[in-house]
Amino acid sequence: MPKLRQLVAADTGGTFTDVAVYDPATGSLGFGKTLTTYADLVDGVLTGLGETGAAPDGIALLRHGTTHVINAFLQRRGAKTALVTTEGFRDVLEIARGNRPVPFDLSFRRDPPLVPRPLRFEVAERIAADGQVIAPLDSAALEALVPALRGVEAIAISFLNAYANPAHEDQAAAFLRAALPGAYITTGSALSREWFEYERTSTAAANAFVGPKVAAYAAGFSARLGERGFTGTLAMMGSNGGAMPFPAAVQRPISLVESGPIGGVIAAADYARALGIPRMVAFDMGGTTAKCALVEDGGFEVQSTYWVGGYERGFPIRTPVLDIVEVGAGGGSIAWVDPQGRLRVGPRSAGSEPGPVAFGRGGTEPTVTDANLVLGRIGGANFLGGKLALDRDGAAAAIMRNLATPLGYDNAEVVARGVLDLASTLMAGAIKEITVARGHDVRDFVLCAFGGGGPLFAGDLARSLGIPRVLIPPQPGNFSALGMLLAGARLDISRSVVADLSASGIATLAEAVAAVRAEALSAAAAEFGGAPATLRAQAEMRYRGQRHTVLVELGDTVEAAAIRSAFEAIYAKRYGRSLGDDFQPEIVALRIIAEAPTARPALAALAPTATAAPQPVAHRPLHTRQGWVEAPVWRREHLPAGFAFAGPAIIEEYGATMLLGSGDAARVGALGEISVEIAQ
Amino acid sequence: MTQDPITLEIIRHELLSIPNQIEKNIERTAFSPLVQEYKDYAVGLVDPEGALVCQSRGSLPIFVANALGTAVRSGLATYGAENLHHGDAVISNEAATLGQHLNNVVLYTPVRAEGVLLGFFAVLVHWMDLGGMAVGSSAVTTSTDIWQEGIQYPTVKLLSRGERQHEIFRIISANTRFPRLVLGDLEAQIAGCLLGRDMVLEVLRRRGTTTLAEAIATMRRQADSQAASVIRSIPPGRYTAESYLDDDGIRLGQTIPVKVAIHADGERLTIDLSGLGAQMAGPSNAGRNGGAVAASRIAAKYLLTPEEPVNQGDFDRLVVEAPDGTFLTARPEAPIAGSGNTIPTVVDTILRALGEALPARARAAHHGTYGVHSMAGRLPHTGELFYNLDTATGGWGATAEEDGAFPLRSNAHGDVPDIPAEMQEALYPYRLRAKRLRPDSGGPGRQRGGLGVVKDYEITHPCRLNLKFERGQCPPWGLAGGGDGATCFVEITRKDGTVTKALKGSFDLTPGDAVRVVSGGGGGYGPAWQRPAGAVLADLAHGYITPDHAALAYGLVLNPDGTLNEAATEGRRQEMQG
Repeated sequence: MPKLRQLVAADTGGTFTDVAVYDPATGSLGFGKTLTTYADLVDGVLTGLGETGAAPDGIALLRHGTTHVINAFLQRRGAKTALVTTEGFRDVLEIARGNRPVPFDLSFRRDPPLVPRPLRFEVAERIAADGQVIAPLDSAALEALVPALRGVEAIAISFLNAYANPAHEDQAAAFLRAALPGAYITTGSALSREWFEYERTSTAAANAFVGPKVAAYAAGFSARLGERGFTGTLAMMGSNGGAMPFPAAVQRPISLVESGPIGGVIAAADYARALGIPRMVAFDMGGTTAKCALVEDGGFEVQSTYWVGGYERGFPIRTPVLDIVEVGAGGGSIAWVDPQGRLRVGPRSAGSEPGPVAFGRGGTEPTVTDANLVLGRIGGANFLGGKLALDRDGAAAAIMRNLATPLGYDNAEVVARGVLDLASTLMAGAIKEITVARGHDVRDFVLCAFGGGGPLFAGDLARSLGIPRVLIPPQPGNFSALGMLLAGARLDISRSVVADLSASGIATLAEAVAAVRAEALSAAAAEFGGAPATLRAQAEMRYRGQRHTVLVELGDTVEAAAIRSAFEAIYAKRYGRSLGDDFQPEIVALRIIAEAPTARPALAALAPTATAAPQPVAHRPLHTRQGWVEAPVWRREHLPAGFAFAGPAIIEEYGATMLLGSGDAARVGALGEISVEIAQ
Repeated sequence: MTQDPITLEIIRHELLSIPNQIEKNIERTAFSPLVQEYKDYAVGLVDPEGALVCQSRGSLPIFVANALGTAVRSGLATYGAENLHHGDAVISNEAATLGQHLNNVVLYTPVRAEGVLLGFFAVLVHWMDLGGMAVGSSAVTTSTDIWQEGIQYPTVKLLSRGERQHEIFRIISANTRFPRLVLGDLEAQIAGCLLGRDMVLEVLRRRGTTTLAEAIATMRRQADSQAASVIRSIPPGRYTAESYLDDDGIRLGQTIPVKVAIHADGERLTIDLSGLGAQMAGPSNAGRNGGAVAASRIAAKYLLTPEEPVNQGDFDRLVVEAPDGTFLTARPEAPIAGSGNTIPTVVDTILRALGEALPARARAAHHGTYGVHSMAGRLPHTGELFYNLDTATGGWGATAEEDGAFPLRSNAHGDVPDIPAEMQEALYPYRLRAKRLRPDSGGPGRQRGGLGVVKDYEITHPCRLNLKFERGQCPPWGLAGGGDGATCFVEITRKDGTVTKALKGSFDLTPGDAVRVVSGGGGGYGPAWQRPAGAVLADLAHGYITPDHAALAYGLVLNPDGTLNEAATEGRRQEMQG
């Protein structure tokens, strides 16, 4: 048996599966990209792995990111799920909070709940807000539910005030697990120990809804890899940027809600730090959606509540998630004509099956990729290194048939341009939402574009938004997988601790810090495979009486004056000024973060290796705003560090194509990044 | 026009984002659940004349009457623009100006650059209590003049050139039952206001005064032109509708007329409210700005440009006609603690008239009330006062295409979430026994009205319940042959078993009492016999309707095994069709 040594990341997207392999012994990185195979998602990973030449029996650690969970939510394709809740409260999921986030929309309504009313069951039990049992769990009533629950795959248990005392939830879960061995069962208090019945019940229902699929998926994934001799460790990428062992992911699949996009943002943050870029928009355009996140001072924000389907009409889950904005515009997004005779793009995607018309895999509806092909923006012969020959005539015919003719055009090119403009507008809207709508001037940011489609659209987007500089990192088509390799080992342990800054409060806090540190160290020893962990302590603080908290870094010693001044400084920075001595700061929760530097590739491993003066490998017609031009086609791997060139130009590499508009000035950096000054 | 549309669009977004961020900050730094969770506040930027430039997304519809600008205009008249300095912060809640219950206190500060006044940043927060007859001030149900409802701050500087006026803080502190919460919320209000001002100044520094002023003017012009295009689409004419209110809270059961007329001439939209009943003896009045103007603007915004952020330009073509002395143009001495109470019904009635003008947009009525139900008392262990204000969520009306939406706040409320049962139980000495959908409450129709809610409270310590419900008599009406939604009520069951039904009033509760708060459903659209039997069966399976209701309202006949008897159902429906 060969020595386990390779670290592998596999990112399964809606259209492509990307694999990155790092060998710490040699420092080398390899990449693979294949079409996602829906019937068997593991197939895509194994094929991608095969492309890199890595054998499963040599892999020490495999990290996996997937859009499985978010897709299951958005397409409402989850388990048949039941809810068991406190008598009187079966409608919490459907009543929600009664608010109207779109105040002037008379037609406003929320999306239907994940669990329909006939599958929401009540049992008598009652716990008070202080955790005392007012009425015991009616076990006879619970038992009586069993026949009705036999028909479901998953059960969420969420009782009122269980955040204060989970005993009844635990008791009900134990009973139902014994009575219904095949069902996936989750409790609200196991996922969140915070108050608010709607949010916690929604979290539990969501977890149950995706639980069985994720469990089956993880089991299948492990088994298939095991068959190929894999004996290493499996982890999934959590939405907070940390990797989770498979068993933890199966228990808390909601933690995977943004598992796919997180890798790219981790990698973008690494490049931002390495290149000294203080403000960056990380922009990822894949086959199904486009996503953007802010990278400021080399880090990204994590929010504690995530709204699946958006705040306005969606539902909340309580789990830490990277702050990200997403729109349904990707390479596979289908272009169509609506009943009012208007051209539309997305949100439906052709995905990888059947895929764009150009893929020749049975797709008949024109997509963004088809429009790109018709306009010469991607090459018919060199897509995916020539593995997938693209059918330009088929793409053009579909655009004529489905779009141009109904719209009254006799020219596919004009309509193809319209499709791209529309997709750009949608994506620009997402970038505005995460910048200008939050008070940032988008023009102060560098646009770091990756994903298969990012480098194609970055120039157009930057121009329309007034962004002066675009950065295309190395390996944009495999960037998310690369980021998963770059992620450190990390685990967070939180605990509720209520303490003020008096001597006794500080003593309570110090005691809790010591206990949770010990707990974190032992968890890290188990999960990090022996790597020494460094610990950081953070306190969630507020003025007594407030509900929201700010996160304060605690130093090595727990000391009142230092904590107070750190709290006041953060409070003043966030809210304008700190309050006077009439208001008492307090700690409500403690978080210990354990991190270990895992073996990870150096960015320099992707530095250019070419030294010779490059020549274009070809010229081909490219449709630009000025009409058709004959543009040079460069191979990215031919470009040496320091090489400068101007648009119009096409730069092709495995998994992505980059475009330079007329007047854009590009330069290859020492780390292999291409930096573009955009002609405005 | 010296600038490109992209720059303009970016400035517009920059300005719009400021109140939205400040709104979040206020929510996060506030001390009362009323602000933290119920989000009873508004944040915005107004121009030097008090015209609204932008307002936070979560700001309640009721505040689009420009409570912010109204307060600012009063300040300009009081001090003169030249005497409003950088670092001044003024508070106002006076009845004669704002015309809303005194709890709505506006705080504003001038935005000045190099001496030039560019506007005001303003934050309205519902103060939890500022004296008066009842805990919570606005909770009073029996006031007959404004002085019984709390203290008025008639345009007073709280900060002068950045210096805190400690005398005013002392007066505020002495005039509330909850000094800690009110002063805590006030700190959030002040900090939000000043930070908002600084953020506007930052935009100004980067863009320059001229560019910013141009962007603000463009925003108003664009809003006006969008509103104008909708007004032009309304067939010229006069459209009317009427409904009624339950009573004035003093003479229970004596209904009060709500007659509205809309006049459209292709250029302007005139809302004539001269048919509203006279100023009431009890506290359901509002002054002109907080009443007639607010109701008309809410309705106009719903109709004209609902998807756009609120701007003064939305209302440049809106004319509101009403004489002094109606219940929405009450005189300054009138009691107005329930100033929002009647607004949902008046807005519903205006929308009904507009539905005559634009039938495609017609919509059956919604539950139509704030449905204020507040609890006050003393905490068992500390003896500290507590006060929880809650309002109803109920069913919304159906349209030709869609069933009515499920429980939501009234049309004068926006992003105002319920206070969770778990938060109430943790903070206050009572319990919620149930919070359920109310079956059969949706008005029957081809499109069914939305359902109301039933909430059950168990009283474990002495406390006082104050109620202000409307629409107990005038049901949420159906349209085009659709049935009415069920009306709201509150039921108090005493420990000894006696039951009292009520909509308005104040009730002392003792341990062992139970309170049931039942909200109304929305009206249906189209005849109920036209509702597909499959949809009725689905409603039955969900428990949205009971079997009796399915038979009576929809003519559904089931076989003994629970399946649909198609022939009998068809026959029953023929009879219903008559």
